[in-house]
Amino acid sequence: MKTRISKSLMVVVAAGCFSALAVEPSEARACGGEWAPEVYIDHRIQGVARAEKMFEAGKVDQAAATVIRMMPHIATLKASRSTLVERSQRMLAVAVARADGALPVAEEVPDYARGTWLGAKDADRQTNLSWAVSALRQVDELKKDDPSVQTELAEVLAKVPEHKKEARTILESLAQRDLVSTPEGYAVLAELRKEAGDAKGQKVALERCAAMAKSAAVCRSTEAQS
Amino acid sequence: MFSARPCSKLVAVVLSCWLLGACRNESRERAPSEGPATSERARLTPPPAPLPVAVQVAGNAAHGKELMRKYECNRCHDGTGVPPAPLEQHCVHCHQDILAGKFKASASKLAKWQKNVTSVRDIPSLAATGSRFRADWIERFLLDPHDLRPALAQSMPRLKISASDARDIAAYLTATGDSAAPSVQPSGDVTQGRELFETKGCGTCHRFSGVGELATVPRADGPVDQQRAVSLAPDLRYARERFRTDRIVRWILAPQSLKPDTLMTPSPVSEREAAEIAHFILTAPLAAPVPKPVPARLPPLPRKVAFEEVNERVLMKTCRHCHGNPDVALGDGGPGNTGGFGFAPRRLNLSSYSGVAAGLLDEQQQRASVFAKTSDGTPRLVAALLARHAEEAGKPNPEVRGMPLGLPALPAEDIQLVETWIAQGRPK
Repeated sequence: MKTRISKSLMVVVAAGCFSALAVEPSEARACGGEWAPEVYIDHRIQGVARAEKMFEAGKVDQAAATVIRMMPHIATLKASRSTLVERSQRMLAVAVARADGALPVAEEVPDYARGTWLGAKDADRQTNLSWAVSALRQVDELKKDDPSVQTELAEVLAKVPEHKKEARTILESLAQRDLVSTPEGYAVLAELRKEAGDAKGQKVALERCAAMAKSAAVCRSTEAQS
Repeated sequence: MFSARPCSKLVAVVLSCWLLGACRNESRERAPSEGPATSERARLTPPPAPLPVAVQVAGNAAHGKELMRKYECNRCHDGTGVPPAPLEQHCVHCHQDILAGKFKASASKLAKWQKNVTSVRDIPSLAATGSRFRADWIERFLLDPHDLRPALAQSMPRLKISASDARDIAAYLTATGDSAAPSVQPSGDVTQGRELFETKGCGTCHRFSGVGELATVPRADGPVDQQRAVSLAPDLRYARERFRTDRIVRWILAPQSLKPDTLMTPSPVSEREAAEIAHFILTAPLAAPVPKPVPARLPPLPRKVAFEEVNERVLMKTCRHCHGNPDVALGDGGPGNTGGFGFAPRRLNLSSYSGVAAGLLDEQQQRASVFAKTSDGTPRLVAALLARHAEEAGKPNPEVRGMPLGLPALPAEDIQLVETWIAQGRPK
C-alpha cells in the first residue's frame, strides 16, 4: 500500500516537473500573476568602501584581511572585471608590499582563504610580491596616467630587486612634478636615493615624507638607516 | 514686397540699438571707478531710451539645441527643450529631493546633508525664454554670468564657451518667442510709475537697486510659495537689458500668459498703470552698481592643519560634488573629473588625500599638481578659490576659473585653512 502511494506521488511529481518544463511560464505568471524582481544585494560594495576607510586611516593589514575575506579568489581575478576588484587589488597589493610579502592576517582570514598571503616561506613572499607587481601594473594600465596608482606601483616595485630601477624612475618623474601622492611614496624614494648614493636627494624626500605623514613612523625606517 | 528703404531703416534702427547698448554697458562698467565725491546728479545717469523691439542675434538655433546637451544646461535648468538629466546628475532635483527628505539615503545622512544644502535649490526654468528676454542679453550673460537674483546664491557657472556657441544657444532659446502678440509699449511718467511700483506691492518680491530707497506696500495676493518667488525674483535694474520691451507690460499684467510655470502673479493694475510701471523699470535713472567687496586674503594660521579638517570643512562639503571619484560613482566622477558642463575631463579627484595629491590634467592634457605655483606664487588650488571671490565682485580673472564653479565663493576663513594646509606641507 505504502509503495503504491509513493509510486503515485512520484508520478504526480514527475508530471508536474514535465509540465513545468514543457510549458514555460512567462515572467508575469511566474509569481502568481505578478512580476517580482529578484533582489540581489552585493555586500562587497559596502565592504570595499569600509576597507578603503581602514586603508586611509592607516589600518592597511585590516583592510587587506577584509578584502581577502570578501574575495578569497582575488588573486585570480582581473582588475578590468569590475572597479570593486580593481579597488580591492590596489589595497591588497600595497598592503603586501608594506608587509614585505607576508601579511599578518592569520587571525582575521580563515584557513581556506589564506593561500600564500601569510608569506610563511620565502617562496610565498616572492609569489605575493610578484602578484602585487602584476596587479598594480594592470590597474596602472587601466587608469592611464594616474599618479596615485603610479606611486603605489613604484612602492611595490621597490620591494623587488630587479624592479628597483623602474620604481625610482617613476618616483623621480612624479616628484619633479610634485605628484607623489603618499608619504610612503616619498619614504620609498628616500630609500632608493640613498641606495643610489644621493644623500641630498634622500634628505629632501624624507623632509617631504615627514611633512605629509600623519605618523613619523612612516618615514622612520628609512631615516634610521641613513 | 520689401523695398530697399524700409530695410535700410531697419538696419539703421538695429545698428543704433546695438550702439546704444554698447554705450550703456560701457558707462555701467566705468561707473564703479568714479570717486566718492561724484555728485548724486552725476551718478544718476539717465539711461538711453529702451529698445523698441527684441534684438535678435543671427545664431544657429538647431546647433544651439545641440549645445544645450553639450553644456548640460539640463543638469540645473528645467524647460531646456531636452530631457532633464538623471537624478544623480541633476544638481537642483537632487538638492530638492534631499531637502524634501525624498532622496534615497539613511535618515542620518539626509539630516547631515540637509544642513549643507544651501545653494542650487532653485534655478529659473528656461521655458518661454524667447517670449520675454532679448537674445543679445542671453548671449552676453552666457559669456559673462553675474548675479541677477539678490535672494538667491549666484549659481550660473562660468562656462568655457565661445561667442559663437553663446550666440547659437541664445538663438535656440529665443527661436520660439514670437507666438504671443506684442503688448502695449511702456510709456508714461517715471515718477508716476515709481509711485505705482511702490503702492502695488512690486517690492514684495523684487529689489530694484540703483533707484534709491523704495517704499513697499506688501501684496496680500502674492504667490503661494512666497519664499521661492522672492528667491527667484530678479533685481529689476537688469530688466532694461534683459527684457523685451514689447512684452514687459503683458508680463506685468498676465505673466502666466507668457510663461505658464512662473511664480510671478498678475499685478492688480490697469494696462495704463502697467505701462507706467514698465516705463519706470526701464528708464529710471540708475546709480552705479555697488561692487561686492573682495574679502581680504587671510594670513596662514599659526596652528597645525591636517587633511582631515580641510576635507571635512571644504572638500567634502563642496568640491567633491564635481571632483569626485568615478570608481565609486558608476564611472561618473562629476564635471571636474570625468567632464561635464562642456568641460573636458580634468580627472581631478578631491575625495581622498591621494586623489588631491594626484593633481589634474591641465589645458595641455598633461598631469599637473594642484599645488603648483601660479605667476604670483599662489598655489593653483588657492588661486582658483580666490578667483571666485573676484568673479563675484565682477572682476573675473581670465587666467583662472573661479572655484567652486557655480557656487558661492568659500568664506575667507576656509581658503585660509586650505592655504595653511598647503603651506605646512599638506599633512595627512
